[in-house]
Order: sequence, then C-alpha cells, then structure tokens
Amino acid sequence: MKVLATYSIKGGVGKTTSAVNLAYEASRAGARVLLWDLDPQGAASFYFRIRPKVKGGTSRLVGARGALEAHIRATDLRSLHVVPADFSLRHLDLHLDATKRPTERLAALLAPLHDSYDVAILDCPPGISLASESVFGATGALLVPVIPTTLSARTLTQLAGFLEGLSGAPALFPHFTMVDRRRKLHREQLASLAAAWPAFLPSVVPNASAVERMGVERAPVAVFAPSSAAAHAFRDLWADVAARLWP
Amino acid sequence: MDATTFTSNDLAAAAAIGALGAAGFEVGPAKAVVRTLLDTFDGRLHAAGLRLEMHQAGASELVLRGAGVADAHVASEGAQPRLAADLPPGPLRARLTPLLDVRALVPVLTVRARARTAVRRDHAGKGRVSVVVSERLSVDGASAPAFDWAAEVEALPGYPKDTTRARELLSSIGLARTDGDVVDALAYALDIDLAGFKGSPTVPLDPYGDALDAFRKVLANLAAAIDANRPGTIDDVDPEFLHDLRVAVRRTRSVLTEGKGVLPADVRKEFRAGFGWLGRTTGPARDLDVYVIEWADYVAPLGPEGASALGPVLDDIVARRAAEHTALAKVLESAQYRRLLTGWHRWLSRESVDRSAKDASRDIATVATARIGRAQAQVLDRGRSIGPDTPAEVLHELRKDAKTLRYLLECLGGLYAPGPRKTFVQRLKALQDNLGEHQDTEVHVAQLRDMSRKLHASVSADALVAMGRLTEHLEGRRRAARAEFAERFAAYDTGKTELALHALLRSAGGRQR
Repeated sequence: MKVLATYSIKGGVGKTTSAVNLAYEASRAGARVLLWDLDPQGAASFYFRIRPKVKGGTSRLVGARGALEAHIRATDLRSLHVVPADFSLRHLDLHLDATKRPTERLAALLAPLHDSYDVAILDCPPGISLASESVFGATGALLVPVIPTTLSARTLTQLAGFLEGLSGAPALFPHFTMVDRRRKLHREQLASLAAAWPAFLPSVVPNASAVERMGVERAPVAVFAPSSAAAHAFRDLWADVAARLWP
Repeated sequence: MDATTFTSNDLAAAAAIGALGAAGFEVGPAKAVVRTLLDTFDGRLHAAGLRLEMHQAGASELVLRGAGVADAHVASEGAQPRLAADLPPGPLRARLTPLLDVRALVPVLTVRARARTAVRRDHAGKGRVSVVVSERLSVDGASAPAFDWAAEVEALPGYPKDTTRARELLSSIGLARTDGDVVDALAYALDIDLAGFKGSPTVPLDPYGDALDAFRKVLANLAAAIDANRPGTIDDVDPEFLHDLRVAVRRTRSVLTEGKGVLPADVRKEFRAGFGWLGRTTGPARDLDVYVIEWADYVAPLGPEGASALGPVLDDIVARRAAEHTALAKVLESAQYRRLLTGWHRWLSRESVDRSAKDASRDIATVATARIGRAQAQVLDRGRSIGPDTPAEVLHELRKDAKTLRYLLECLGGLYAPGPRKTFVQRLKALQDNLGEHQDTEVHVAQLRDMSRKLHASVSADALVAMGRLTEHLEGRRRAARAEFAERFAAYDTGKTELALHALLRSAGGRQR
C-alpha cells in the first residue's frame, strides 16, 4: 500500500478537494483506495455522503487498542473506502501525545491494512503539529496543493525546510491548484515555481466552478461533471502521481 | 468481498424485486450483463485467492476481487486482456504481473444475465446495501443451471446491519441462501472447477502396490498433462503450454526408460521412440520461446542503445519463433501425433496388460528405491569425473542425469513424505540451476553466432557490434556458470545430500526400509 497525504501548512489551498478527487481517480484507475479524513471539519466524509462520526471518538480511534478497520465505511464506489472524521479530531494532537510513540502511531494503525488497499490518502488539516509529524511518519509522499501565489509558495518552502531535518521524511509531490491563467501573477508564479521545484506534478488544477459544486452535489467532480476541465485535470494529476508510484 | 447469493426454483425474480421495493430499495432498470471470469490455465489467480472478472454492461470494466475488503475496478477498452502487459498500467497490473509472469489470461467461465441493482439509501443519498438481481442466467458452453435467476447481496464495510437486514428479507420470502457470489453459485451448480489445470506429476501411490500399476498410473497422469496442454500449444496462447507439454513428454520418456524390467519391453521400445520424436520436434519452438522471454534480461547489460541496435535480431527471432510454432501446430495435428497418442491411451487404459517383466509385480516402493538410488549414483559418478578441462558435452550429460533423477522424484513422489522430498529436491535443484544456466547460455551463444553469419549482410554495423557484445556477455555468463560448477557439485556431493536421500527413501508409505 502506498500511503499519501494531502498536506499543507496553509489552509484553503484545496487539500480536501485534491484528496477527494485523487482518491476517486485512483479508484477508477484500478487502485483499492482508503481515504482517511483527519480533518475535524469532516469535509472529505461529507463529499462522499458519509456520516461524519468517529465511533467512540478520536481517543478510541488512535488509542492503544484502536483498530482502523472498525472505522472504515464503504462509499458508493466499490474500490473506495473512507475513514470518516468528526469534530473530536480537533484533539488529535492530545490523543496522539497520550500514546507511546505518537509520531509512529498513524503508521501503526495503517500497517494491518497494507495488503487490503493499494493506496491510502490521508486528508490532513492545515498547520504543523504533532499530528503532522505522525502523518510524515506514515506517508511515502505528501501531495501538497499550491495556489500560484507568494504566500502559498512560501509555505511550501517552509515545509521543505522542516522535512529536510527529518529522517525518513516523505517525498514532496507539490501540485498547482485553483489556477487562473487569466491572472498575470498566476502565470508568472506557475513558471517560476515549476522551474525552482522540479518535483511539481506537471498537471495543473484550474480554478473552476465545477469544483465549488462538489459541496452541492456531494461527489467528486468527475461524477457530476465528467467532461469539465477540472475533472480532466484531476484525472491527469492522478496519472502523474501513479507514474511516480508505479514507474 | 463478502457476498451471499439467494436462489429459488419455485419463486420468480419478481418476488425478490417486489420485496426489495416494498422495503424501500430503489430498483434500477434491467441491463444485459456479461461477466467473464479470467484466470491462467493453471489457475494462478485462484490459487492466490484472487478473482479477475471482465464485466460488460454497455461499458467494459475489469474487476479484481479477493485479499481485502475492497475490490479493484478499472475501465477496460473493450478487448479482453490476454497478458499482464495488456492490463491498464497502475496498481492492478502491478499486483497481477508477478503472478501471471508469461502466462495468458483465458476465459474460465462466462455468465450472461439481465441484471437489476436494488440499492437502499440513507437520508443523505448514500447507498448502504445493494442487491443485484440477475435473471435469465446462463453460462456459455454449459447446460442450463438449476436456477435461472439469483439475488446477490454484497456486504459493504461499515454497514453490517443493512446487509443483515437485506439477507433476512430475502430469506424471509423463501429463497435459498448460499455463501459466495453468483459465479460461485453457478460454478457449484454446474460442477465447473474454477481452480484451473494442475499439472502436478505427483500422483498418490500405494507403496505396496505392483510396480507396473504404479508406473501406468504415473504415465496416465502425464498423458493427461500432454492432452491438456496440446490445444493451448496449437493456438500459441502462451509459452507455458508448450513448456508444460514438453516437460510431460520428457517425463513420460524418462519414466519409460526407468521402467525397464517393469513395463513390457515392446511397449517401452515403441513409445520411447514415439515420445523421443515428439520431444525433438517440439524443441526448436521452445528454444526460441526462451530466447524471446529472456531477451530483455539478455540485452539489459548492453543499455538502451545496444538493445535498440539489436531490434532487427529480435525481429528475426520473433519471426523464426512464429514459423516454428506454425510448424509445431501442424505436428500436433498430424496423423503421426494422433497415432502416437491414440495408441498410448489405448495401452494405458487396457484392463489387462503383459505383466511378465521381472519387476512388474514387485512392490513399487522397493523398485522406486532402487531406481532413485541408481539415478543418484549416476549423477555422482559423472559429476565426480568432471574437471576443469572436461568437455561441455559431459556437463550436458550430467544435466540429463540430474533431470532423470528429478523426474523420478517428482513422478514417484507420491510414495514419499513431502518434507524429506522437498529437502532433497532443493539440494538437487541448486545443482540443476547451474547446469541449466551453462547449457542455456551455450545454446544461445551458438544461435547468436549462427544469426550473425546469416544476418551479416542485412543488418547495420551497429547491430553487428551489439550482437558481438551480447555474444560476449552470454559467453561470460556461460564461463561463470562453468567456473561455478565445481563449487555447486561439491556442495551437492556431501554427506548431507546422502542423509537427505536416505530420509526421503525411508519416508515411503511411512515405513522404515
């Protein structure tokens, strides 16, 4: 099982949108996918119409006797399952801190599922915390959505700097989101960031109304707007990711 | 996947659909569905606990089930995948490639139906349980199943109560319940084996039974392997058909040879000659198969440019391989082949045969011990005679001796306990691997030199240089194998091997000998 996380220190960059759509595209491309919603907002769970409820709360989810399998919910796609979130995840740091090896806890919870899924995607809340370190300990690569703006790029640099000092740090798969090519700043940032960071995935997700409609439709873009530019972008983006995972 | 199938000979599908509708399920429209179960001829996916199906309901989709709670689904372009390379790139292909290796996927079972999906949703519109009701069920090439419709409930992770309620609902209207999906239910009802052909040369043998009867049982099992692999060889489905056919032929010939004093002399003479002909005839196509299979590994040390320069050589090998397979297909459809196999089956199935050979009525365990001991002595004698300057032909003879011993261990393996057999075979295999590498590289070096001469005028200078480098590389591998032989043989010619052999022979039928 390849473990990925949509992660950014900055909020509002499209982490959940990427997680939901990439999970969907991965499942369509033949992967058995587990999407683990770690964001207390539970948006990823919401998009798949799954009740945002962590049975027994976060303490039971990550506690010493926790077993992730008991929290898995099927989606309407046979090859895509979700571990839903709820508001109790706002205390994830505290609960992890109460475990013996907090930075290894998420990896330990995923370990029994390694033969059951091909891909796990962890949808993370913004910020950098103990939970983030546990995510870094569990993942092979971080899918980092980057809006082509100065602040968004700055947090990518901060993240890369943090990971540099970490042994066994995950690879960075940054990718552009909410891109509006009509804006000069976006065009300039796209060019300069892509040149400075060869790790950027080539496909670019546009700023699109179809993405905003996900909340109304409660489904990945390709389900209700399969021909839209956004749907094509996520399909291509997953192909970029897959090419790195299964060269 | 955790599925349950409900059937009935009394009730119509409408009863299930009506009950589901009344219980709040949304029942979708009926669609023509074709489900084709794909596996290798020898059932590699089945053995690995996997099931690959091609679903056609308008669009085509490949579905891989088993090993875990989630199924893998991927859209297919319509054509049924044959080899691992035909599967869409990604994790599904990555999982199946090591299992399939060079084997092709073949249809095992094709189910046709008109199917409706009934889904029970919650207030958010999320499906919590689904039931597929399949009507007008039929299986291609099979008689009509005992039931012509079925309802399949698939358990969805996280919603066990909904699954239980759906199952209870279908049971409550009087449907018969079986574990597994509709393919399992149909295969069971129609007595279709989903496990694939197992070409094991080992058959159960009574250690106290007559040697002649045991030899005939072993030979009949090998004849079944030849028959089973013939159609796939003729159709050139994948190279393993020819490989397995040849192995069965060689084992047959070896058992006939070792059957001296057990089998009637005239039968041995006639069929050793017949299967010798078949073995020789099938050889060239197999040599070229191996070349094509090993090509990527062979040329890898030359780098992409060297490999590219050898493109015309590979084309030539592929063309010659195709021609050899065409010729081989004609052989397997020839009157000579039919006469050989018909005569062979006739003798194997005879109730009464000549039992006058001196060992025919001795117990098989005694005979087998003597034959295996003799074959081992032959391996040791010839191996000990080999020094650094011994000609390659002697190593080839040793390879044949080792094969004879191996075939005896495999074909008469039913007499012995699996543990000791495995221990001894592992020791022998280490020696055989070295001898095999030596011979394969020598044959391929000779073929390359032959090709260089033939293609000299028609290929580029780059190709000739690359062929020279490849020849050099393979010659290096051959020399390395030759240099390693002394060490490998010394590791085989030890007290440990002797002890392993004694342990094996003592394990016959659980008795001390």
